[in-house]
Amino acid sequence: MRVRIVILAIAAVGLAAPAAARAQTERLGGRLDERTRAAVTALVDSARAAGLPGNPLVNKALEGASKGADDARITAAVRALAGDLARARRALGAASTEAELVAGAAALRAGVAPAFLERLRADYPGAPVVVPLAVMADLVSRGVPADTAGRAVLALARAGVRDAALVAFRQSVERDIALGAPAGAAAAVRVNAAERDLGLGAASPTSGPAARPPRKP
Amino acid sequence: MSEPSDDPLIARVAGELRRPVPISPDFDARVMALVRRAPPGRAVRAWEWLREPRTLAVSPLGGLAMAAGVAGLVLAGMWSRQPSPVSRQPSAVSASAGAQAPVTFVFLAPDARSVALAGDFDGWDPARLPMQREGSGLWTVDVPLAPGRYQYAFVVDGRRFIADPSAPRATGDDFGTPTSVVTVGGAARAAGGSL
Repeated sequence: MRVRIVILAIAAVGLAAPAAARAQTERLGGRLDERTRAAVTALVDSARAAGLPGNPLVNKALEGASKGADDARITAAVRALAGDLARARRALGAASTEAELVAGAAALRAGVAPAFLERLRADYPGAPVVVPLAVMADLVSRGVPADTAGRAVLALARAGVRDAALVAFRQSVERDIALGAPAGAAAAVRVNAAERDLGLGAASPTSGPAARPPRKP
Repeated sequence: MSEPSDDPLIARVAGELRRPVPISPDFDARVMALVRRAPPGRAVRAWEWLREPRTLAVSPLGGLAMAAGVAGLVLAGMWSRQPSPVSRQPSAVSASAGAQAPVTFVFLAPDARSVALAGDFDGWDPARLPMQREGSGLWTVDVPLAPGRYQYAFVVDGRRFIADPSAPRATGDDFGTPTSVVTVGGAARAAGGSL
């Protein structure tokens, strides 16, 4: 009886996985021409076989289709994203969620070093790190040097700063930049201010985040 | 300064008035004794009542109830100082793990005939999330989103893709039009401080 249940469960999983993959690529129907669709489907299948999520790749192809991009550009964008997702998975680990891989891929594409992703995951094994990764990428998009952004977010996350406060930190930096402050200096000043508020003593994000032991979740 | 008077009557009266009045040596003591005998005012009596030590009898059960009340007040104060959740803003919201959080997207386009939202959450299909026109040319739509980072843009009049001016831009532009980013946070990583 127990053997039969196990066999049925394995069969159900085996049937469900291809069905999910088919559902993902079926979203491409009617939005891409046959040739582009075939190329994107191949990329998605290849990514899924490597343990990467296919959904973000399909979304990227659909974005290109909506914006009227040509086949080559769509395929290139999907391939580039697959590469970023693979690098994010290597840095964050195989157990990472799709949302974490997407945010990690964005941070890597922005120029954040994979080492920052690895350290973030090491500090918080099994805990969601979507927002810290997203804030890293967003800061870089506002002009903060990638290294400074990575160190700043890592330092704050290690200090126990929560997601909402990380977003508030990013918004403060954005305001400072809008008022004319150099992006890197704005991030450094805000990190120091945040650490003073938390009673941790000032530590510049350029001085390295490893000076403080991380908090475990 | 005084003027001399020729009237002898006035001169006599003035002389009488100028003569010093004799005061008994115990005058001060008698006045102060009368003051001390006067009943104290209400405020003075209240102050005296407050200063007077008293013995209160409290049963063990009553003492426990009072201690519980004080502890409850302290806990209520601590609870009220917890950081409030992130407000609904396009660039970042919070949601519990696995749950979806409603995100309100707002775009100002007074001259637009239609505005739609397109992004990773709707397959970049402008037909799926049309925005509603509010007063003063504001267009809005609410979208429930699970924790994650999403790219999106506003589609004006069915053809123009415009990034959200109030949200961070996505790094790198694959298709020649800038896109924006919204991040929905998940469960807290650890109990810690807030800025």
